[in-house]
Amino acid sequence: MRAVIVLLILLTGRHIAAQESLQQRQQERISVLQRISPSVVCVMDPKGAGGGSGVLISSDGFAVSNYHVTSGAGSFLKCGLNDGQVYDAVIVGIDPTGDVSLIQLLGRTDFPAATPGNSDLVRTGDEVLALGNPFLLASDFTPTVTCGIVSGTHRYQYPAGTFLEYTDCIQIDASINPGNSGGPLFDRLGNWIGINGRASFEKRGRVNSGAAYAISVNQVLLFVEHLKSGLIIDHGRTGFTAETSDNGEVVISQVSELSEAYRRGLRPGAILTTFADRPLSSANQLQNLIGVFPEGSRLPIQWIDDDGQHRGTIRLTPIHDFEAAPELPMERRQPRKPDGEEGTADEAETLPESITGLFEERRGYCNFHFNRLRTDEILRPLQTQPVPADAKSWRLQLNTTGDSEQQADAVIAITAETIGMRQGEQAWLQARKDPDPSEEPVGFPGLLTALGELSSFVLQREQGFDEVIAFGETTHLPLQQKCRVLISRNSLTKSRWYFAEDQPWPAAVDVEYAVSTDEARLVFRDWQTVNAVSFPRQIGVVDANSETITWLLADPLTRTGEAE
Amino acid sequence: MKNAMLLVTLISCLWFSPTSAAADEQMQENAQRVIVKLFGAGGGTLDSYGTGIVVSADGHVLTVASHLITTGGLTAVTADGSRFTATTQATSMQADAAIVKLNLAENQQLPFLDLATAADAVPGTPVLAFSNMFRVAAGSEPVSVVHGVIAATTPLNAVQGRWKFPLRTPVWILDAITNNSGAAGGLLTSQTGKPLGLIGREVRHEESRTWVNYAVPLKTLQPVVEELMQGKSTRLKNADETAAATLSDRQLTAQFGLTMMPSLLQRTPAYVDRVIAGSAAAEAGLQRGDLIVLIGDTVITDVREVGREMGAFRQGVKIPLTVDRSNQLINLQLTN
Repeated sequence: MRAVIVLLILLTGRHIAAQESLQQRQQERISVLQRISPSVVCVMDPKGAGGGSGVLISSDGFAVSNYHVTSGAGSFLKCGLNDGQVYDAVIVGIDPTGDVSLIQLLGRTDFPAATPGNSDLVRTGDEVLALGNPFLLASDFTPTVTCGIVSGTHRYQYPAGTFLEYTDCIQIDASINPGNSGGPLFDRLGNWIGINGRASFEKRGRVNSGAAYAISVNQVLLFVEHLKSGLIIDHGRTGFTAETSDNGEVVISQVSELSEAYRRGLRPGAILTTFADRPLSSANQLQNLIGVFPEGSRLPIQWIDDDGQHRGTIRLTPIHDFEAAPELPMERRQPRKPDGEEGTADEAETLPESITGLFEERRGYCNFHFNRLRTDEILRPLQTQPVPADAKSWRLQLNTTGDSEQQADAVIAITAETIGMRQGEQAWLQARKDPDPSEEPVGFPGLLTALGELSSFVLQREQGFDEVIAFGETTHLPLQQKCRVLISRNSLTKSRWYFAEDQPWPAAVDVEYAVSTDEARLVFRDWQTVNAVSFPRQIGVVDANSETITWLLADPLTRTGEAE
Repeated sequence: MKNAMLLVTLISCLWFSPTSAAADEQMQENAQRVIVKLFGAGGGTLDSYGTGIVVSADGHVLTVASHLITTGGLTAVTADGSRFTATTQATSMQADAAIVKLNLAENQQLPFLDLATAADAVPGTPVLAFSNMFRVAAGSEPVSVVHGVIAATTPLNAVQGRWKFPLRTPVWILDAITNNSGAAGGLLTSQTGKPLGLIGREVRHEESRTWVNYAVPLKTLQPVVEELMQGKSTRLKNADETAAATLSDRQLTAQFGLTMMPSLLQRTPAYVDRVIAGSAAAEAGLQRGDLIVLIGDTVITDVREVGREMGAFRQGVKIPLTVDRSNQLINLQLTN
């Protein structure tokens, strides 16, 4: 007995520290859970059949979930939070390829939102918490918590057909079960690092097998502004394929001759060294990297071939042409009821009053109402800018030397059908409707067409185009600046307008005007308004091969200078 | 007594170090370095991939004695992504262990796990399990790691499909899902990365029929591995299997050429699934589809009773059988 007591004292003495830290750890975890639980959403089919999970990302009620969770529900949903309340929610945007959807909960302006962490810093062995709604257990919407570790990072999970592809995802051993889908993964400090979306189910059926996968929050954040624009946003492709060589190099195997990469000079046999500024060591890693970017992203690449080192940028082209939300493959559908019984999703949808005016159906969009909102938001600051009386007044003289000491050496003239440039003895005339790459000025391919687009924008705003839509947010290259994007279309010409924060006029435009031809890429500086005519004092022409900018100085052409 | 209980509680507390003390990264890396992803033949419910542990610098790999290593055409991918062909050197059915030799280049050496450094562990020890489960990791990508706790030390009483699983040595039952495709042959370590065990196979407990997550302590495997590395395969000794006086499915097939329907239900009727031509069962006149209703005087209500009843007959004694064939009862004599 005495020996036992002595041993006890010895042991307690030695291990009191360990116990304290255990209790401390427990306390930490409890307080983290108290902090993060309010942001976890129980996503339900409005007919009360089935559902999944989600996570609030802003106080105005935007919440991220899985596409395969919201896809069966239609345009509106019911959502429960851990305050026990049920909120109406409207579908906003979807990313079927990446299995992500964005909804907006309604009725509050102070929704508790999760704080995103940096999923690139997640490491194997890190403790993680998965919160959600497995088996729709909680009738009061208190999320179920499961705890585990990161089992692997930068994992790849094959798509079902061509969508629901998980690239660069986080593998965890926390229990993930039906209903967890769409719910958040947190690190031990309560930072939101992923969306739990799928698991390796095999002989056990659709229950936890210790191998589940979360879409990284960094990927979600690259798409979230696109989703907020009401889009069916797609992932992209590069126009080339690659394989890993025996010594761990990524070797280009095929390049489409129609691709931008081909025009930059990338050919089979070249070694791709970086993609989106990340060094490459395998073709799998490349595939992972491509998968985290939205379609339309312009990304830098570097490669080595017999001629040495090269760099360039390419734009990802869409994988699909989504005209409508795609049907899920049968095996990926969420059971509409927790017991697996399929509900009837075909009943005619009657929208509740709360979302009247918040949903607008349009072919090719998830919810066009949000696109309209976004476009208006971007263009609103321009409403205070003057609009010139007639198109003729928007004429420029250009100083193509870029040297302010020099005189203007070129004149740009625009009519409704054409845009022309005269420089010394040379002159070019470009049709507005059907631009011809051979009619562009030497040294500045695409300049005329792009300036034509610019004149339409300045003079008529969205009325100058067949269509103007919002297209999320991206990092403009070579400006390296985060910009909101509008896309305008005029017959065959597609222009991407880049808007930097707090600037009413665009910072740049990229114009696609002919097939298999490099975009005309202009950047703008120093916007001015003279006699109600707005123009950028400096127009930069981006060279596709070198990514360098040649600056031109622009001035409105005065009546006196207009001696034709 | 109370104090003793307290003591036990206290001691068990010590083992539950918080999971936040996530595995030391260097230790994890050490574990990852010695693990190989195995790829071979598979099909149907048999996976074409598995896991192994490099146990010598010249490329001996320890894994389980699964179909993967007996079917040939085996390749192994080491942690750095290098790919090697491999040949099976020796297997031990009793220990469910095998040594596979990677065909390295001359003088090539691999980082390996010295089995002499394997530690012992008791129930309550937090563990990490490294494996090529679900083939999630490709090439040089690190294999998956899941966490858990050793729940018990116990002799394994498991079945693999219809077969009694031969492994008898005490194993660790794990509170972690390691019973996954491709995980067998992986490495179990302590949370600080100390090597502990070899992750076991996808088997079910004989009675509960639930999937068993287990690992075999490396310490008990060490002498086996030494023999295997010398090329000594050990087959099952008959005594081991007949000790229970019950004939396993395997023995029924081997001795009589008789294969019964697998036991799938609470009570699976004793239907004959296959009769090997020229075997004792064929000679006795048994046919596929026969329902065995009597062995001797015993009524058979479950296919699992067949092995037990047949095992009760001494060698050389004819076994009287009554079978139901298309609603007709037929008496047969099976030569034992």
